[in-house]
Amino acid sequence: MTLLDIRDLSVFYGKTQALFDCSFSVGEGEFVALLGSNGAGKTTLLRAVSGLLPFKGSVFYAGKALDKISAQTRLALGVAHIPQGRGTFTEFTVEENLSLGATIVASRSQVREDKERWYETFPRLRERRNQLAGNLSGGEQQMLAVARALMSRPKLLMCDEPSLGLAPSITQEILAIFKSLNKENGMTLLVVEQNVDITLQYADRAFVIEAGQIVASGTASDLIGNEDIKKSYLGVAG
Amino acid sequence: MRDLSLSTAIKLSLFAIVAASISVFAPAYALQQVAIAIAYAIAILGLNLLMGYAGQICLAQGTLFGVGAYVTAILNATYGVSPLATLPVAAAVSAAVGLLIGLPALRLQGLQLAIVTFGIAAAFPQLLLKLGSLTGGVSGLPVDAPETPGFMTDVPELWLYLIALACAGIGALLVSRVLFGDAGRALRAQRDNPQIAQALGVNLTRTRLWAFATSSALAGLGGGVFAIVSGFISPESFLAILSINIVIGSIVGGVTSMAGAFVGGLFMVFVPSWASDINLSLGNLIYGLALILIMMVARNGITGFIEKWISMIFRRAAG
Repeated sequence: MTLLDIRDLSVFYGKTQALFDCSFSVGEGEFVALLGSNGAGKTTLLRAVSGLLPFKGSVFYAGKALDKISAQTRLALGVAHIPQGRGTFTEFTVEENLSLGATIVASRSQVREDKERWYETFPRLRERRNQLAGNLSGGEQQMLAVARALMSRPKLLMCDEPSLGLAPSITQEILAIFKSLNKENGMTLLVVEQNVDITLQYADRAFVIEAGQIVASGTASDLIGNEDIKKSYLGVAG
Repeated sequence: MRDLSLSTAIKLSLFAIVAASISVFAPAYALQQVAIAIAYAIAILGLNLLMGYAGQICLAQGTLFGVGAYVTAILNATYGVSPLATLPVAAAVSAAVGLLIGLPALRLQGLQLAIVTFGIAAAFPQLLLKLGSLTGGVSGLPVDAPETPGFMTDVPELWLYLIALACAGIGALLVSRVLFGDAGRALRAQRDNPQIAQALGVNLTRTRLWAFATSSALAGLGGGVFAIVSGFISPESFLAILSINIVIGSIVGGVTSMAGAFVGGLFMVFVPSWASDINLSLGNLIYGLALILIMMVARNGITGFIEKWISMIFRRAAG
């Protein structure tokens, strides 16, 4: 079943067009990567889906058209967005960051329960729960951003460049967590990345975006071996 | 967390000691002045929430203060409502006016919002004059003194002081409920990074309007207290400069501090007159230099400065 269906999506910044009639879909329970180099339009696409940018065309989530729905309601429907650069609230403690992720959750016991659950998954966050989040390392901040997004119990988790500024081993760790959320909890993932090789080890399928257009797609195993695509669109030296 | 509640307890007891010694040692006239300072402090509490935590500016806090004062005076002088009973109405009416003022804040930020709100502050006194049949125009409105309990009839000023203090307590409680709850987190989040706050489900519109309404309600409550303590109000008391003075009181006291609101209120009432006492013809010069000096030495306001010193002394003592 299709969870996210994007049809002819265009986004404009004033008069400049950043996305041109992008169409693709993500099935429920899939782990999909959106690959592209800097400035290809990856971030713009995620922002349009999560409600931070207006768009033309249509985006359906679980059969619902999202264009007239606020960011807050999209989150309540189950669309969570981990922003590029992690978006840590540096003057908040780790725990407060998690609470902020549960802004739309009314039940306090659910918030408590979920915090415990993600502290289990990310023990380093538990150790530092009362410290200012600005003092965490880059990797810990990325984990915090993931845990914070999970606090709203999303069905579709979108993550914008988790590898940014992180050592490859940490990126692997984060992607492995995504994979287990995908496999064990049935969460649907849409991960935006430049780091093609690492991402394709974990994703089921991938789309390639270049200059605001979807230019290629395929299963991860197809794309891993496809040097042409890597060379032409992703700036990977062959 | 235990440290936090310990330091809160210390601050509260300090506050109680200061408040009690003022009531015992201050002469009657000074007591009334302090009560007026507390009325301003209530408005500053609101502005601190708005400026310090929500990151919005409002140069019409004096106007909202005036709206509250006039609600109290009109209800009392024209309709005979007992003064204390007017206070919740004063807060509610100011909150409603504040919501209207907050609407442009959804589109405007920073400097533009400063000018728009200051425009309201500039227009307000003349509006009061034009609505003379309601406001008493240039001759103003009297406000009855609230009935003083029997054992206090010798010093009615003490009763006024206690009323102001009680209202400030309610205001401080309201602000702390907001700040330490979900709403406070949302406020700070939308100030630090509005886009990401939005992605995490913070409703920017509602959060900002709510901050304006709360801040304005406190301004209205402060204004009502001011009217009761003064016993008489006229447009003179709510000139545009009052809004600037409240902002100054807020920043000089410490814009993210509750104790700072009280320091700011006292500053507003006493420092300009002390400056004139030093030398009548140089009062403004001395006051201006005092402002400059304070901001050079204490960037986080007087309370921020004191807290820095106290924590330094404690650290020395500890290690």
